Amino acid sequence: MNSLLLASAVIFMTILIYQGALFVYRRFRRIYTAPIILSTVTIIILLLVFGLSYDTYMLGGRWIDHLLGPAVVALAFPLYQYRDLLKKMLLPILVGTSVGAFIGVTSGLLLSKWAGFSELIIHSIVPKSVTTPVAMSIAESSGGVMPLAAVFVMIAGIGGVLIHPVVMRFSRLTHPLGKGVGMGSASHAIGTATSMERDPLEGSVSTIAMVLSAVIVSVLAPGLTLLFM
Amino acid sequence: MSKAVAIIVQIAGLYIIYLLGTLIQNTFNLFIPGSVIGLVILFAFLSLKLVPENWFKQGVGFMIKHLPFFFIPATVGVMSYAYVFEGKGVLLVFIGLLSTALVMGISGVVAQWMARRREAAHE
Repeated sequence: MNSLLLASAVIFMTILIYQGALFVYRRFRRIYTAPIILSTVTIIILLLVFGLSYDTYMLGGRWIDHLLGPAVVALAFPLYQYRDLLKKMLLPILVGTSVGAFIGVTSGLLLSKWAGFSELIIHSIVPKSVTTPVAMSIAESSGGVMPLAAVFVMIAGIGGVLIHPVVMRFSRLTHPLGKGVGMGSASHAIGTATSMERDPLEGSVSTIAMVLSAVIVSVLAPGLTLLFM
Repeated sequence: MSKAVAIIVQIAGLYIIYLLGTLIQNTFNLFIPGSVIGLVILFAFLSLKLVPENWFKQGVGFMIKHLPFFFIPATVGVMSYAYVFEGKGVLLVFIGLLSTALVMGISGVVAQWMARRREAAHE
């Protein structure tokens, strides 16, 4: 009974904080006020202030987490609406995403290797650009740690949302196709959510890039790891 | 049917497709997550006209509008691993960000360049 009450309180608070973040974002549009970032930071600070653990938060949080699956399924809809355009642009999306997958795996691997981190950490950082469940299974099968892999996935996701305005300005990404491929390849579903907020076409491209990237990285990662380790 | 009821029923429908995707993943031992398989299933259903668009329209609209909300529990999870990034671990954050920036910039530039060439060829 007590845990049911706590779960409801957590869900209610999360909705409230998210609504508050949306309110702030609509009036003060900065990249660090993006709802996903503002909500996450606010909740972490509140949990730390009140001395609550993540497990306690997840008593309610897991109910929201359950809806992540159907939310990803929902991405099929805009994909369907833009199917004609996307079919025409499949090759640019495929090539861009493949290049991204290769760079993601190699740069993560080599940079952490040169910095002298343990193999455990290197294997966990390699699949960071793909969606969490895929990244965790890639990391596990190569000798990484699943929860750690999930944290790197979050760094790629949240970090990508934070730095994307700078990266896009620097690399002169203005076309929805380039932006979408960049966001989906680098920052998976969290990047896709941000793209979708801005432009449904960019979001649909990002969805395809995210799905393709998950497949390509799972195929590339074992071979490249063997080659560079 | 009121709008709220339509949204809830349609999200339940999306959930069933997600469960179907998970079932397929487990049955065939696939590395692709059930949610992504569900995405492909819904896309196939729509393309083959097995389900009309308006069966999911409101539910999908609601979920996509509030997509970031559903990620919050996952992103809050980072707090449990803050210790990894103490001391030398801070470097890992920089490596993660640098690698992410490289992926985003280069994959985007390649795709954009190819897309513009195609557009020019079609005009």
